[in-house]
Amino acid sequence: MTTKDILKKVRKIEIKTKRLSDHIFGGEYHSSFKGRGMTFSEVRPYAYGDDVRNIDWNVTARYRTPFVKVFEEERELTMLLAVDISGSQWFGTRGQLKHEMITEIVATLAFSATQNNDKVGLVLYSDEIELFIPPQKGRSHVLRIIRELIDFKPQHTRTDTSMVLKFIYNILKKKAIVFLISDFVDENYEETLKIVGKKHDLTGIMVYDPIEKEMPDLGFVTMKDLETGQQAFIDTSNKKLRKTHNANFLRRLDYFKKSFQKSGSGVIWVSTTGSYIKKMLQYFKARG
Amino acid sequence: MKLLDHYELYTPYALLLLLLVPVLAIWLYRNRYNERAKFLYSDIASFGSFKTIKNKMLPLLTGLVLISLALISLGIARPRSVDVTAKTKKTKGIDIMLAVDVSASMLARDLKPNRLEALKKTAINFIKKRPNDRFGVVLYAGEAFTQVPITSDQRVVMQAIRKINFNQLFNQLEQGTAIGMGLATAVNRLKDSKAKSKVIILMTDGVNNTGEIDPNTALELAKEFGIKVYTIGLGTNGYAPTPVGLRPDGSFVYQNAKVEIDENLLKKIAKETGGRYFRATDNRKLNKIYKEIDKLEKTEIKETKYYNYKELYRPYVLIAIGLIFLTGLIRYTWMKSFV
Repeated sequence: MTTKDILKKVRKIEIKTKRLSDHIFGGEYHSSFKGRGMTFSEVRPYAYGDDVRNIDWNVTARYRTPFVKVFEEERELTMLLAVDISGSQWFGTRGQLKHEMITEIVATLAFSATQNNDKVGLVLYSDEIELFIPPQKGRSHVLRIIRELIDFKPQHTRTDTSMVLKFIYNILKKKAIVFLISDFVDENYEETLKIVGKKHDLTGIMVYDPIEKEMPDLGFVTMKDLETGQQAFIDTSNKKLRKTHNANFLRRLDYFKKSFQKSGSGVIWVSTTGSYIKKMLQYFKARG
Repeated sequence: MKLLDHYELYTPYALLLLLLVPVLAIWLYRNRYNERAKFLYSDIASFGSFKTIKNKMLPLLTGLVLISLALISLGIARPRSVDVTAKTKKTKGIDIMLAVDVSASMLARDLKPNRLEALKKTAINFIKKRPNDRFGVVLYAGEAFTQVPITSDQRVVMQAIRKINFNQLFNQLEQGTAIGMGLATAVNRLKDSKAKSKVIILMTDGVNNTGEIDPNTALELAKEFGIKVYTIGLGTNGYAPTPVGLRPDGSFVYQNAKVEIDENLLKKIAKETGGRYFRATDNRKLNKIYKEIDKLEKTEIKETKYYNYKELYRPYVLIAIGLIFLTGLIRYTWMKSFV
């Protein structure tokens, strides 16, 4: 991919997701993730309709006209987007790869954050931390994040969710908004999740392809695992096999939901054919 | 390569291809995933680890292909059954004329049961041993005639010799011993022969006493045509029971008579034509003589064996093709992939 292509793609994603975050998400996001409280910022002359409870009597007495105190929400939040770029992300059967959808989700979240003057950081991980961009403000920073998402070539293919959770725990000292976006083809992250979930405002977003949920009859297929590189002949015509496959997926999804909810974190799960906007709006509304 | 008596492999080196089969098996096993388009999937483990029938069938199908390759290798080795009919090229052999004296004295009993019968037996054995020569038979007494002209059909010759019947001939032929006539007739039969070597085996038990052709003339003729003459004198030394008269009922009166053989003449004939003279005093001696002649007249045997081959590769190849077709059919119908 040439730089020109990347920039074109970045621009495309920007246009698509910025509009989303401006018009749909902005408010929801803002109200969903609140700052630590209200701090006093200034006094201004009383205007009709102001809450009388906010009148600053001292200033009013000195100037002999009513003044009200203005409070501002203390924001300056930090958002960290932990994105799984292991091998399994490069799978997709319906128009787009899981990774492409994740890129859009990340872009939407990042734009929403900058709009609210929050800092955005990015962690790309497989079974190692592939890339870490420390949280910063600004549109250009968001564009960089998008560019990395489009262009970054991971060194490893496997997934280690527990590892990235530990990394997040270590790197963020203050409480932050953390989105963990992955397909969660992984196990044994419940314990770490509990610890991280207590410290940060954590949300897990699981992206999956419809085929991962229900395997259609593709005949006798030679398959290669994107993560392990393991190869096998899979008889997808076999009903029992397809059932096992579906059960395993549901078990995985269930584990994902349960372990996040147990740690007090939020969960969103979305198919690559589904609308992540809808799912995320629902989620934010439920939080708000 | 001979396998059993009747089976052989025409190109046994093709069996080396069989060694390739296990190599191929290992290679196929190592590259078992490379043969088809792969479906890159995110999580194979989610299918569990159980094997369906098709998984179990797969090595079987590969096995069938390997078996058919082995069968094809066998087919390339060309197994065939051999039916050897050892026909020899008869034109390459030599031509032998047997000139047999059938005068009454041949009934003398110094050889058992008599000279003629003993001669017949040995002559037949002689012919049997020389399958690549051509034979002819001339009979003579007071006159000579050709019983069998030179022929490669030895059965006819042997049959003719077996059928020499004195009583019959006795009435047909003039009496006497016309060695010259016998020899000349034999020479006549051989003169147009294109064989490399022409031989007359002249057998007699007496002295030339009649005939229109003098033995010396006949000898000149033989020399002229380059014919070798082996001469055999039949009869013991001294006296032998010889038929001397005829009873009214047709049977012979035997009396011991002195055996008279014109050995000088026979020796002369033999010497001048490059043959040899033998004297057969009894059956054993006669046998020996024939063996001797057999040795002397070695022909370079150019045996053309007629091999009647029946190629047996067909079932192997057909089964192999069938198996390959079957595996292909299974693979692209029942075990096909839509990816």
